Amino acid sequence: MAGGGIGVSYSLKDLPKLLPGLILCIVLGWMALQWDASMGELRKGFRESQAILKPHLELGKPIAPYEDYVKNKEDSYKGALTLYQLGIEKVKPSKPYILEKDDYERLSVDKEPAFMFRFAERTVQFQLTYVALLLLGGMLIRNTVGIPKIFQAGTIAARPIIKPGIILLGAYYMWSDVLRVGAIGLVLVVAFVMGTQILISIWGRKSNVDDGLNGVMGSGVGVCGVSAAVAVAPVVNAKPRDFFYAIGTILLFGTLCLFTFPYIGKALGMEEPVFGAWVGTAILNTAQLVAAATWYGHDALLTANIINIVRVGFIPICVLWAIWYFVVRPARQAGIETGQKVSALEVIKEKFPIFVLGFFAMVTLNQLGVFSPVHKDMLGRDLLRIFFAIGFAGVGLNIAFEDLKKAGGKAFVIGFSAATLKAVLGAIAVIAIGSEAFRVK
Amino acid sequence: MIIRPIPPEKETKMAEINKELEAKAKATFSAERKEDIVVLVMAAIVVVLVLVGAIDTKFYSSLFFK
Repeated sequence: MAGGGIGVSYSLKDLPKLLPGLILCIVLGWMALQWDASMGELRKGFRESQAILKPHLELGKPIAPYEDYVKNKEDSYKGALTLYQLGIEKVKPSKPYILEKDDYERLSVDKEPAFMFRFAERTVQFQLTYVALLLLGGMLIRNTVGIPKIFQAGTIAARPIIKPGIILLGAYYMWSDVLRVGAIGLVLVVAFVMGTQILISIWGRKSNVDDGLNGVMGSGVGVCGVSAAVAVAPVVNAKPRDFFYAIGTILLFGTLCLFTFPYIGKALGMEEPVFGAWVGTAILNTAQLVAAATWYGHDALLTANIINIVRVGFIPICVLWAIWYFVVRPARQAGIETGQKVSALEVIKEKFPIFVLGFFAMVTLNQLGVFSPVHKDMLGRDLLRIFFAIGFAGVGLNIAFEDLKKAGGKAFVIGFSAATLKAVLGAIAVIAIGSEAFRVK
Repeated sequence: MIIRPIPPEKETKMAEINKELEAKAKATFSAERKEDIVVLVMAAIVVVLVLVGAIDTKFYSSLFFK
């Protein structure tokens, strides 16, 4: 996961240090969600205005007086409610959106939706949702006025708050979805993610890049950003400089993807499940991947989440690969007995990201019928957004240009090229496979 | 080409840095494990609150101004 808890430990004694930054992220997250809620209401006004104008503009019908408009809306709601109460309609009708008198009268005169309604509609076209606001806004704050020291630890600790959201999203899946999409995800992960790590390892060796740098770059760019780099570092004796180079490359690539992929996806006409599969394969860390998928749409997030779960499950395998490639294999070639006994089970036990088990527990509870449709929406949409908003605030506030500048050298070229190749080939593969294979029903 | 040996004090310093890094990597991973436990507990609390009805459908919309 992006930066995971680098430099921050979650313990009660650290709480006073974390609290100011966490509160800042909660406040920013709330402001962004408030923006979304307000824009959502205004967009209803836009759609309602259009519905009122349509018969007038297309058929030349006069716009009815406000009182008649309100009465019509209320009558049609009452009618739909009666049908529901009689059991003829199965879905309970929601209360109608009724324009305010001032807005209605202005609409009658201007013959176009009010400016605020049009503005709200434009925000959808430019995908200016809470995700974009938190990431762009956070990045802007971090790189202009900066974050006072008192807030820094807390903003880092806020990033993993995305994870409870990922767990709650499990309420939407049945095991059949997880296994079906997960099986395709597994093929993609093996082909692209492990493929990238192997490519970087071999390419780096051929280009005489340090084993330490090569190892952390391969695992970081290939599998799961900073977590994988941290897990592999002791195996390959990475130096602090290697960390900065690898993390700089991962952050730079992830940041570029985050802000460009949603637009590339739209330009290529990717459906949401296809986009979800693409970002799940191509973006290097969980926070950025979840942000890009959420930005694109809920169905994109549902697919991306499964692929990501498969991908982070590969961290232990990535560590085993690094042990074999950088320690066991060269020692054998040199005829040296390393004396290191590596237990695969031990590595898996130590490095497996256990939050994934929470996601599986949620899928199982859903399979057992514990969650009603209302529960699912509350957990997988509303509460998820609260966790995501706090986490995205932390992500945005921690995108520092000076960190991105740390990427450099030959390893950067190799890492960046391999990540770009993975993204391009990944896009071709997911488009060829098609949306139905990735759709979570 | 003359290969200069690394001065012993520099070698010791590098070894210290590597040790420090290894300790930091280990500590970071254990922090991530702790972090995972914290997020599991957070998610479990939320699920229980939703299932017992302490968080209802109006909760989310009640957080924002209309």
